[in-house]
Amino acid sequence: MSGLSLYVDQGTYLNKLHPYTKLLYVFAAILIPLIGGGGILFPVTIGCSVILLILGKTLKRSFPLIAFSFTLIIVIFLVQGMFYYGNETPLFSLGFLAFYREGVLYALRIGLNILNMLLSFAVFVLNTSPQELVEELEKNGFSPKFGYVINSVFQIVPQMMKTKDTIVDAQRSRGMETEGSLMTRIRAFMPLISPVVMSALINTRERAIALEVRGFGRKNKKTFINDRQKLKGDTVIRIILVLLTAGVVIRRVYSCL
Amino acid sequence: MGNLFKTKLNAATIVLIPACIGINYLGKLFASLLKLPLWLDCIGTCVGACLGGPVIGGICGAINNIIYGLTTGDNITLIYALTSFGIGIAVGITARLGFMETLPKSLVCALAGGLAAVIISTPLNVMFWGGTTGNVWGDAVFAITQANGMPVLLGSFIDEVLVDVPDKLLTIIITFLILKGLPEKIKALYDVDAKVERLD
Repeated sequence: MSGLSLYVDQGTYLNKLHPYTKLLYVFAAILIPLIGGGGILFPVTIGCSVILLILGKTLKRSFPLIAFSFTLIIVIFLVQGMFYYGNETPLFSLGFLAFYREGVLYALRIGLNILNMLLSFAVFVLNTSPQELVEELEKNGFSPKFGYVINSVFQIVPQMMKTKDTIVDAQRSRGMETEGSLMTRIRAFMPLISPVVMSALINTRERAIALEVRGFGRKNKKTFINDRQKLKGDTVIRIILVLLTAGVVIRRVYSCL
Repeated sequence: MGNLFKTKLNAATIVLIPACIGINYLGKLFASLLKLPLWLDCIGTCVGACLGGPVIGGICGAINNIIYGLTTGDNITLIYALTSFGIGIAVGITARLGFMETLPKSLVCALAGGLAAVIISTPLNVMFWGGTTGNVWGDAVFAITQANGMPVLLGSFIDEVLVDVPDKLLTIIITFLILKGLPEKIKALYDVDAKVERLD
């Protein structure tokens, strides 16, 4: 069941913090350098996220999350470095490929922004249980029906992944080719996906009946199974984050006047 | 026309949403397993849109990206929730208008979904990636347009069209075949005009 979620309960302080506080951190970390005009602020927020990841003992697990973005950042560097519309000053050249200062700076800015967003979000995702987040949202009036939708995805997807393995094995044992030319691979797609999809859709009927029987559609107020303990740190951290963001906004507005 | 957006929010449609999101995951997984140069990550959204209507399609798309963001830590997909939402709505509307009845007609659906994706994604691509989409073929084209001095927005638009429209075309064809194979018993669950006859 936890196969899909990246969260692992390690009992750290970050695990215990209220999900909203961590969410607020994500917003602050993304907005501060964007509003503050980048420059030195990107390394500051990136550094903050890395420190938090280390404190939460999640630095190692955050690498795969960020790794995929490197290919994208490299592509951006290549494309913008060579072809950015403002390119004027040549910076260096590799054989016949010429890179320009403006494009590289622009790519650097985008790259830092991506890295910053991913790292701050990793702090949130690796330390927050989705179930806890949904439950807190429901306590604040989020529709329990949609809460159910989100929670049940975390159960259904691993289940479907298991069915998928069975089907791939079954079709291969019947001699279906899953490698070769593009046409062969496209043709293999349908026999692979349709059995899983069919069974998933047919299962929805039984699931709907099961839910209906348990009073899912009732409109009366529902109670919650978990009671969370209040942490003093939550309020303090939230106030600091809001003040920092507000400070950057005020500075920006002030510099525009 | 009032029927176009009519949605039943009962237990059946609520359980349809997670199933569709699961299908989206599977599509993406199989596409990468077979090393196809397409995403095929919105088959579920299209199935949801055709069965439950535009509203359910839109919700499927949006929640799909939110959960994808939560489970892979990739918060950039969160912004593309807007795109998925648009695809769900567009496909849902065209399906309600009767364009999912035959395979040739369903191409209109594919076009609507593809265009919705292109129109919403292009500004996002320009804002966050400087115009690239992350798909090798599309980005090669983008590099060519930039080398020839075309505006970023136009280059990115062409990049998106080349990647998204064929992707949605195949997605809709697969959706069509899936829906055709679905038993009537299941489809009846989502019929908005169905009436419950009471015997008391």
